[in-house]
Amino acid sequence: MKKILQITLGIVTSVGGFLEIGSVTTAMQAGASFGYQLLWAVLLGTLCLIFLVEMSGRLAAVSKHTIVEATRERFGFPFFFIVLIGMALVSFLVLVAELGGIGLALQILTGVGFPWWAIPVSFVVWVMMWKGTFSLIENGASMLGLVTISFVVAAFKLHPDWGTAAHGLLPTFPDDKKANYWFIAVSILGASISPYLMYFYSSGAIEDEWDETYIPINRIIAGIGMSFGGFLSMAVLIVAALVFHPKGIDVEKFEQASLLMTTALPKWGFTLFALSMLFACFGAALEISLSIAYFFAQGFGWNWSEDLTPSKDARFCLTYTVIIMAAAIPLLFGVDPIKVTIISMALTAVALPLAIAPFLFLMNDPIYLGEHRNGWLSNTVVTIVILLSFVVAIIAIPLEIIGS
Amino acid sequence: MRLKRPLVLAVTLLGACKPPTPEEQMDSIKSWLATSEMVAEGWLRHTNPDKYSRQTLELSHETLVQISTDLLSSLPPAVDSAALDSVLASSRGHIDQMARLIAAKNSPDFRRQLDSLRADEKTVEQLSNGMPKQ
Amino acid sequence: MHLVRDVLDKELLDREEEPMGRVDGLIMQLGERSQPRITHIVVGGATLWERVHPAFGRLSRRMSRWWGPKRDKEVRIPWSRVKTAGRDIKLDVEGKDTGAIDWELWIAHHIIEHIPGSGHEEADDGS
Repeated sequence: MKKILQITLGIVTSVGGFLEIGSVTTAMQAGASFGYQLLWAVLLGTLCLIFLVEMSGRLAAVSKHTIVEATRERFGFPFFFIVLIGMALVSFLVLVAELGGIGLALQILTGVGFPWWAIPVSFVVWVMMWKGTFSLIENGASMLGLVTISFVVAAFKLHPDWGTAAHGLLPTFPDDKKANYWFIAVSILGASISPYLMYFYSSGAIEDEWDETYIPINRIIAGIGMSFGGFLSMAVLIVAALVFHPKGIDVEKFEQASLLMTTALPKWGFTLFALSMLFACFGAALEISLSIAYFFAQGFGWNWSEDLTPSKDARFCLTYTVIIMAAAIPLLFGVDPIKVTIISMALTAVALPLAIAPFLFLMNDPIYLGEHRNGWLSNTVVTIVILLSFVVAIIAIPLEIIGS
Repeated sequence: MRLKRPLVLAVTLLGACKPPTPEEQMDSIKSWLATSEMVAEGWLRHTNPDKYSRQTLELSHETLVQISTDLLSSLPPAVDSAALDSVLASSRGHIDQMARLIAAKNSPDFRRQLDSLRADEKTVEQLSNGMPKQ
Repeated sequence: MHLVRDVLDKELLDREEEPMGRVDGLIMQLGERSQPRITHIVVGGATLWERVHPAFGRLSRRMSRWWGPKRDKEVRIPWSRVKTAGRDIKLDVEGKDTGAIDWELWIAHHIIEHIPGSGHEEADDGS
């Protein structure tokens, strides 16, 4: 019974915590510019994420080490340092985007510009980290994120031709705007396969004291939780395809994005969109801040746990404090969070090989996983994902220049 | 490979700005005209709040001013630039008016402006069909 | 024992199984006729950064002169203090006594504990 509750909670938190400004923005731009054609990118990204998240959970449950710890121990400090810098920089940009997303949501609700919200929003995020426990953050923030289910409701209310939509699940090539098409495809992959999600999930397994008995639970949570999350992204794409695409509206600014659900849900659509973005970005901001702090703390061997009071894991807390303060600065100067989102999703795609390549070695290491090493299926998938991530990393830069 | 990565990142960030083509600018103009129409309809149907509607129409107006100026200076000869300039100025005027009418909560005049905007959009569409495809 | 794989970069735990950093470096004795053996574990500071690049090591040394716990030498723990070496390295020492967690304590006392809600006031064991 307890395990069923844990599975349910795990799935709920995965769903509630899935959407954030990157996945919403890229899905909306895909739907607005190309209709259903890019659904395959969301599907592909979600499938890759499922496998990677399952592996990061399994590694933590069996070896009692997170991916970060295992990376340093297996590959040594110099390589670890390169990964640290890459991941920290990219994650930091995404954090700026998420804090900005909260600010933009508050802007459209109140009319007060997002730069004014930069400091209050960062402060609230920091207080949650300072005083909150891991369960509060993992469960509380994700529960609030469940309001994003309104995107699915909106999709159904618009009565899409599901047959036509399903065709989008197979890759097709556009007639024009090719560079833009592939740029959005790459950004969707960067938004779906967020490295910070894997690091957070892995650390969470340790915070929740998982062991080998949790391997089946881990598989279910990763599989079902992330699938449902993927459906949410697809719902955003479908609604954008039905609402923006016929009108020829390109979603460049948050003000345009805010119109997403007003057609399907006339009374509540506007408010639901704002609240969805508010809570989704809030949860993501917490997760990313924690992920970056975990990365430093676990890599350098400091005390780390969200359940400890700050005086007991001082360096860990100092790290996230500095990061959150720094992330507020670009927003104070009015840097557009949507632009930061687009750039950070593309850069995430570029940095993916760095995050994923260590997996292939770690998941086959008997010292860490014993008999729970990867089977041929997982290894095949990881290899394909790594090759895919190299291809994506190489084409992301020219596409950014030509196609954005 | 390890040292190339920071360089690649720097290039990406620097290379993120490239000047849009006239066709892209035209698409952007049509996108913002459609956005204004959608915001206006939403205000009339009470699906969008007042402040948001006004601020977005003002944003639309600002953005259209910028893009129009850029586009008109680089327009291909196949397009009637005088006609385009005129209809774009007209549509911007309607958007600006609608933003002001929101504060007065003047729905009938607002509706008239919206109808004129819709007519201008059709004209823009016709003129843009004369643009050569990139 | 495969030194690099089994010891370097592993987590260190003290007598109370509290984390006290990682094995950032090793000091070894090379005998003329005997196998090289580890004499000390090195924790933190310039030794770690030198592994990335010597310039980083120099920068680390320079910066630690300006702020933080002032240490003239890096932290060295004799190999004899190692109890077990498996997934982590368990030591028969008190973390605080080795100097390995000086930075943690310094940041806790000088920065964290000045911010309200840090939990310092609630601690009843004086640590």
